[in-house]
Amino acid sequence: MRFSVILRYIGTVMLCVAAFMAVAAGISYMDNDSGYYPLLLSSLLTLLLGAFPMLFVQKAETISNKEGFSIVVGSWILACVVGMFPYLIWGGEFSLIDAWFESVSGFTTTGATILDNVEALPQGLLFWRSSTCWIGGAGVVMFALVILPSMGTNKMALSSVELSSLAKDNYRYRTQIIVRILLMVYVGLTLLTTVLLRVAGMRWFDALNHAMSACATGGFSTKNASIGYFDNPIIEIILIVAMLLASIHFGLIYATFTRKANNMFRSEVVRTYGIVIAIGALSIALSIYLAGLYPTFGQAVRESVFQFVSIISTTGFATTDTNLWTPFAIMILIVASIVCACAGSTSGGLKIDRLLLFVKVFFARLRLQRHPNAVVRIRVDGIVQEESQLDAVMVFIVSYLCFMLIGTLFNTMFGLDMMTAFSSAAACIGNVGPGFGEVGSLDTYSQLPAVLKLQDTLLMLMGRLEIFGFIQLLFIKWWR
Amino acid sequence: MKGINKRVAIGFMSIVALLFVSGMISLFELSNLSNDTENILSTGKRNMELAKDMLNSAHDHSRAIINMAIFNDHAYDSLCRSSLNALEERIASARSESFNAECLDSLAITVKELRTLSDAYLVPAAAESNAKSAEPSIADDFALAEGSVTGKIWYETKYQTVYTRLLGQIKHFMQLTHSSLAPRAAQLNRNAYRSVTPVFISLLVMIAIVLMFFYFVNVYCVRPIVRINTALSNYLTFKLPFRVKAELLDELKELHDNIDTLVNISKQTKQ
Repeated sequence: MRFSVILRYIGTVMLCVAAFMAVAAGISYMDNDSGYYPLLLSSLLTLLLGAFPMLFVQKAETISNKEGFSIVVGSWILACVVGMFPYLIWGGEFSLIDAWFESVSGFTTTGATILDNVEALPQGLLFWRSSTCWIGGAGVVMFALVILPSMGTNKMALSSVELSSLAKDNYRYRTQIIVRILLMVYVGLTLLTTVLLRVAGMRWFDALNHAMSACATGGFSTKNASIGYFDNPIIEIILIVAMLLASIHFGLIYATFTRKANNMFRSEVVRTYGIVIAIGALSIALSIYLAGLYPTFGQAVRESVFQFVSIISTTGFATTDTNLWTPFAIMILIVASIVCACAGSTSGGLKIDRLLLFVKVFFARLRLQRHPNAVVRIRVDGIVQEESQLDAVMVFIVSYLCFMLIGTLFNTMFGLDMMTAFSSAAACIGNVGPGFGEVGSLDTYSQLPAVLKLQDTLLMLMGRLEIFGFIQLLFIKWWR
Repeated sequence: MKGINKRVAIGFMSIVALLFVSGMISLFELSNLSNDTENILSTGKRNMELAKDMLNSAHDHSRAIINMAIFNDHAYDSLCRSSLNALEERIASARSESFNAECLDSLAITVKELRTLSDAYLVPAAAESNAKSAEPSIADDFALAEGSVTGKIWYETKYQTVYTRLLGQIKHFMQLTHSSLAPRAAQLNRNAYRSVTPVFISLLVMIAIVLMFFYFVNVYCVRPIVRINTALSNYLTFKLPFRVKAELLDELKELHDNIDTLVNISKQTKQ
């Protein structure tokens, strides 16, 4: 493995991060707020860190699979490290652990925060916070792939790592085009959401930040009360649509807008996702309405649809305190935070694709018990799934649940109650953000002990890098 | 400058630049910290001075009032007025120096009350005294004694209430500023930590760059030279083929190619 080549490409990603920091510094400069100096200094340091390897290392003709993996995982981790520089230099509520938590939470699009008073942050830092979500949403490496077209064939090696095989299933194009489609949909969706939110009554700055956060399924807000601050049904509807679209395979969205045959209305996965959302949101609405928490059924539907879409898309925006809802509604939301949205989107979690495959494998197994000699093929959208793919899915589901339980166990070890321990582990590994109990939709992670904050950031990174990519780095043999 | 020389020079310059930036940042942060410390100290000192002046003026005013109201000595009239003016000046100057406005407002109100009170009593008293001093008599002495008794009562019932309140407020002003210094000192402590953070981050980045520089110089400069040398020695000693397994850049690549050409020429000459 060529360490110098890895450094060069991680450096490219650092340059992208530095560019976003510079934009945030520009916003701070225009606003004349206290975020200018921390952001400018961080941007310069990140720029130097990113540009230095380019001085010595020339472009590599080819990149091996191992190198690709190392570049992607290294980029995520280093982006999180440099991402905490502005927070640390600015000060305020940020200690070292808290700055790390906020940075990892941003880049992994988790959206969990340690800030008790978000509104105290200067505008530049608020923008930087949303930017980390937005960069993380598209995948740190994807930016480098598009911004540096000179990388040519290397895109293949990197994107094969950045996009899981499940995510690539619905793309019927070459890898270079996949990258362009992803970015086109992502940027287009963000701009459209920004304009719509502005029209609905948000300030330009809030609209841009919320659009970036929604399209990245991050969940960082510029207000302490999140979306509840605006108390505007039109804003909620716009955000519901944005969160829904951001949690559907980007290739399918592109195909739908370009009127291709393989659009999202024909996708079995999207249909299943739609059915899950409809059943989940309606069940919650009925539960909270019958419990007398809301005076009208319409209001119960409004709250339940927003919260359910926010959780299942792994965004984490809030309009109300879901801790006050019925145990049934809370359980549905916890299940949603484990299952989550579609592969090939910016969301995290198990993914509905894997759940669909799991259900199909389950029924295939039942069928095989009745007819031991039968040849059972599992198809999704008419495509036969290979055994290796099915094995990978099953192993991933088991590993995911195991790590979630380990996280819960660790949380309880440090005195958290069961609800907080389980829901925070599920929310962190699924990159959802808010959980229940002490880390509810309108609460923060600030009161957790430092060691649990560190554990949560590990879970977030694991969830974002789909477990195996992250764990691989820990094996010494890998580096030889 | 070109090739390896240029790369090493730029790498070195980057480290020097970062060192310079780190130095500048630490200077900037330390001067900020120093300013904050100085600010806290000077605020404390100034507060003491102002409070001392206010207490002196209040004392002067009280002394003048005692002399005028009880001993009917109206020569103290100017001291009475100048001490009140001095008090008002101190309050105005404290206000301009951004001390606690609420506390200064109540002080100003009390001073105003004191002025109204003394004016209301002293002006008619002075006029009466002036009229009587023109033709002194035994009856006047009785009146003066009666006046002294009235003055004493006025001093004890009216003046002293306001005067005591004024003293309390001056003390409160002194305490308030000093009690606000404690959280500011704690803030200073936090600021010290914050001041170190940018320098610490710059140093971390510098360490990372120095390590990268060391690694790159090793991989692209030192290692190729060592390997070229080994390959050349192997060729000369054991007649092994001249093969170098290293990342070759710029002049080192030229050096390798030139040696390779020489080796080939040498081989052809021998044949």
